[in-house]
Amino acid sequence: MLPLLGTVLAGLLAFLAGIFEDSESNAGSASNPNSQVQLAPQIGHRHRYFNKAISGEPPANALWATTAATVAVLLVAKFETFNPVYSVIFSSVIGALVSTLLLGLYGIFSHISRVASMKTFKQTLYWDALYSALPLDLSFGFLTAFSLTLLSFTAGMMLNNPFSVPLIAFMLGITIGTIGSSTGDIHYGAERLYQHHIFGSGIPISNQGDIDVKGEYGYRNSVDTPYFTLRFGATITAFTFGLLIFLDSLSRVFVFAGAWSSVIVELGMILIIFIVTVYLEKYTRDRYGPYTR
Amino acid sequence: MEPLTAMFAIILGGVLVGICVHFIPASATGAMSAATGIATGPSMLSAGAGMAGILSAAYSMDSGLAVVLASGATGSALMMVLTILGGNIANAFGTGVSPASGQTASGQSILGKSTKDAITGWDQKPYISPGTDGHGMPVQTHISGLIGAFIGGIGGALVLFAVYTLLAPILKPEAAFTIAGVIGAGVFLINSVLPAYTLVGKTEGMFDQKIRRTPKTLISCLIVSTVIAVLIYSAAVVI
Repeated sequence: MLPLLGTVLAGLLAFLAGIFEDSESNAGSASNPNSQVQLAPQIGHRHRYFNKAISGEPPANALWATTAATVAVLLVAKFETFNPVYSVIFSSVIGALVSTLLLGLYGIFSHISRVASMKTFKQTLYWDALYSALPLDLSFGFLTAFSLTLLSFTAGMMLNNPFSVPLIAFMLGITIGTIGSSTGDIHYGAERLYQHHIFGSGIPISNQGDIDVKGEYGYRNSVDTPYFTLRFGATITAFTFGLLIFLDSLSRVFVFAGAWSSVIVELGMILIIFIVTVYLEKYTRDRYGPYTR
Repeated sequence: MEPLTAMFAIILGGVLVGICVHFIPASATGAMSAATGIATGPSMLSAGAGMAGILSAAYSMDSGLAVVLASGATGSALMMVLTILGGNIANAFGTGVSPASGQTASGQSILGKSTKDAITGWDQKPYISPGTDGHGMPVQTHISGLIGAFIGGIGGALVLFAVYTLLAPILKPEAAFTIAGVIGAGVFLINSVLPAYTLVGKTEGMFDQKIRRTPKTLISCLIVSTVIAVLIYSAAVVI
């Protein structure tokens, strides 16, 4: 019963972590679309986006998750006389707060130095762009680190992963960063930043940097971004990462062929998902048809 | 596994990781639906798949080498296939484009002048938005990504198992597991970043012309992995 419960809990936490991770990266213009925000002043668009790309999304998330999990593991050892569930939750909150502090420090300096490097192109450092978006980014960062830490504890304690909790958090951080950067960011980079361009086409290289700078009311800022991307991009990230953790854990619940059961079940899952993807491609080709102007 | 065999297994694992990156379709401009491949750097994408594989392999460390390798391969492949599905959904419904291979459409892939998908035979050229180099992951790049994930997963799991065998006699089980995990992740990260110099940020997998540069990666990964393997072997056995 415990592995199944652990599987469901891990899937739920992974789903939540996916939503928060993508929103955090979009609120801070991290990962690949940050190049577009960086390009905008060079073609004459002054913007008010919060632009903190500290590093690639995978190492950044690995840093937040590992910091939070390391602090949490140290605190759990201190609180061992309490109820283990409460001590894990309480320690994870404190661990996530520490990593949020780190994110805040990196975020402020990264934004300021990125804007400063655009001085030649007359990009101004708008304090409201930093102060309005930073708390939102930090909140999503806190929730990401918190969910990943809880997920690492679930994998270590309920699913019996032999690695230590901070190492699990490191690996999950790299994986969630990769998934967030390769799924959810398409919705931000190809759609949200380019809403005034025609829907139903990629963004040609010649148009790159020509991002939307005006919003529904005044200048667009990074607080509006997660409001838009939460409806689709973040959900896709959550769907992908949540399903990965859920299916990977679920494959180990089966015991029909000894140690090989999980491998056989996972191969079956891979085949099914592959077929779904092929049908999706066929569907889009039939539905949208060839590119027409 | 004998200590000396374990050392060679670490080298082989590292080289496999380096090769896998060439098979995994990825491009940073994919995030603007402006290039074929998963929307992130090939190195980081391989690292993400590798970490999923190592985490998956760790569960079955007591069941022998074959199960560990198979678990690593399927864990990586599951991550890859789900990421490709997620990326294609984002492309299909977020930006309204269908997957198409830019290199195949321009007749520059290793398939020659054909503009059709090597597996399904679907024509790629009419589905490319002008000014872009394709978008999403069509079936041929998907297959290539799966092969890459399998190779990478096997490589990562092999390093993990070999390091664990070296450390198990001299350390407590928890410590041996964790150090093996850290070294496994480290070897994976190093060898997945090395091909970035030959791929220059973008590849469409095994149908891309850049697959011909694999021998260069192979040599650099061999040198780096040998140094790491000798260091680990000396630390665990000689000293």
